[in-house]
Amino acid sequence: MSIAAEPITVVVVDDHAIFRSGLKADLDGRIRVLAEAATVETAVAAIREARPQVVLLDVHLPGGSGGGGAEVIAGCTDMLGTTRFLALSVSDAAEDVVTVIRAGARGYVTKTISGAEISDAVTRVAGGDAVFSPRLAGFVLDAFGASTTVSVEDELDRLSVREREVMRLIARGYSYKEVAKELFISVKTVETHVSAVLRKLQLSSRHELTRWAAARRLL
Amino acid sequence: MRPPLLRSPEKVVAGVCAGLAAHLGMPVRTVRILMMVLSALAGAGVVLYGWLWIMVPTAEEEAAAGPQNPRSVAENFARYLQQGQGTANGTGASLLGTREILVGVGLLLAAGAMVAQALGAQINLQLLFPFAVIVAGAVLAWSQLDASRKAGLVAGAGADRKMGLVRLVTGLVLVVSGFLLVISGSFSWDVLLAASLASLAVLAGIALVLAPWAVKSWRAFHAERAGRIRQTERAEIAAHLHDSVLQTLALIQNRAGSEADVIKLARAQERELRQWLYADPEKGTGTLADALKSAAAEVEDAYGHPVDFVAVGTAELTAQSSALVQAARAALFNAAQHAGGQISLYLECSPEAAEVFVRDRGAGFDPDAVPQDRLGLRESIIGRMQRHGGTARVRSGADGTEIHLALPLAGADAPAAQEREAENS
Repeated sequence: MSIAAEPITVVVVDDHAIFRSGLKADLDGRIRVLAEAATVETAVAAIREARPQVVLLDVHLPGGSGGGGAEVIAGCTDMLGTTRFLALSVSDAAEDVVTVIRAGARGYVTKTISGAEISDAVTRVAGGDAVFSPRLAGFVLDAFGASTTVSVEDELDRLSVREREVMRLIARGYSYKEVAKELFISVKTVETHVSAVLRKLQLSSRHELTRWAAARRLL
Repeated sequence: MRPPLLRSPEKVVAGVCAGLAAHLGMPVRTVRILMMVLSALAGAGVVLYGWLWIMVPTAEEEAAAGPQNPRSVAENFARYLQQGQGTANGTGASLLGTREILVGVGLLLAAGAMVAQALGAQINLQLLFPFAVIVAGAVLAWSQLDASRKAGLVAGAGADRKMGLVRLVTGLVLVVSGFLLVISGSFSWDVLLAASLASLAVLAGIALVLAPWAVKSWRAFHAERAGRIRQTERAEIAAHLHDSVLQTLALIQNRAGSEADVIKLARAQERELRQWLYADPEKGTGTLADALKSAAAEVEDAYGHPVDFVAVGTAELTAQSSALVQAARAALFNAAQHAGGQISLYLECSPEAAEVFVRDRGAGFDPDAVPQDRLGLRESIIGRMQRHGGTARVRSGADGTEIHLALPLAGADAPAAQEREAENS
């Protein structure tokens, strides 16, 4: 991750004014907040107008047809190439995480995250990488099955040995840098693996993922 | 004073004779013989027996219901049917199932009819069959009254459950066809058909008139019930929020000066609320993940350091895996005490093995340099894991300490687990 000379432009979407102001105060100098929004409709309008690099998006939002953060992403699908979404939530329910990731978010962090960590996450997402919290990595491992030995036809439906190792380390609380050190690979390679996993999570039609979601009453 | 007329528990068929004997102060045998003689007289005994059977309560029923409780025939009968299942016969020591009773009644009726015919009475067998059908249908339809009585008589129509509906429809069909069969003896089919159509038309007319009223009261009943459910739910949520969140908020206001206390309170409350909101009530709390979660909560409460818990897969909590939880708990306490800050706890369960990682970001230490007399790491963690057939490894460096606990789960073959272990390390 490189620190850009130009600050990264961000739109903050959250229905709690207290949380928005706290978040703005927490973000460091690498990031400039262009606009804020509190509902699905105002968020879509603000994002279209401001065209930020990153949207910090609360999963639970009032307005729209009740779809929350995922609905905001759905309203901006044509901008997904230039604008990246980082989901924020107080909830760590599998349902919320998977829904918003599959809608197109590039990462997921919980609201208890520190200011420095969230600034790092925004920078990383702006650079096109994915941000996985330990819990999201845990969900991925759970969803794709802990075992790599099962032969599945579709490449999208399983994690490679390396991807699985990366996910396990992230779930254990390792930072990308620590993962890289542990596996004797570069941070860039770790980021590549995480992005590949994100893609699989978004595109996989894996029956086990469906079953897993059904078991948690997601579908 | 004469004992009340109750059906005796010391019964052969339904306890009628024994009860009658007790009531009249006569020997049971005499009453039974009398009943049989009566039965031979054009089936009078059978009718008397059946009537007493239906109308006279058993001793337990009387005790349970109280004398002033009005009792319908159907209730009595349904109750009897229910009690007949699995009730031991005191003297005969044989079980009287419902089916046996029904067969017995059928045989008794047949015998009564035969005796009557032998005595010269003209019994129209063509009439007997339809009546049997009607009785069967009525029994079928009425027998569910008792089962659904608990849910209120409104639901007693029984159509809310599939089984009830089937019973109702079958009963209805049997009764109607029985009546048709009875009448068909005296009228020609043409007349019967016309009469049936006329009856249907009348019934439809009545239904048409009564339908709005029925629909209205049904809706009102539903609305009232939904409202009551909503109210109950609301009250429950309010009670929970009052007991938990409001109390904690009050505490936080009191302790606003102490940052550590406020964080601790907020974190504990968050955890509690999360558990309440997202926990699956149908899922039992006997899993390894749940046990680890409460261990993590303990550490958070004791030291105020957040524990980030991630679980992959599930396993039942057994005596063996309890050791894993205990070791993990000790590791968490170590981490909170010596390192502080954010602690990561990771659990991965597969059918063969369970693995736990406890990671902190403290200054680290040299495991070999830990004095022999310090029991924390050596006994509570490493020793405990080895005693239960598992392993514990400590990795410590400048950027923190990680303790890795692995335990092959019972039922899995050990070599496979070890292989897996080797592959993972």
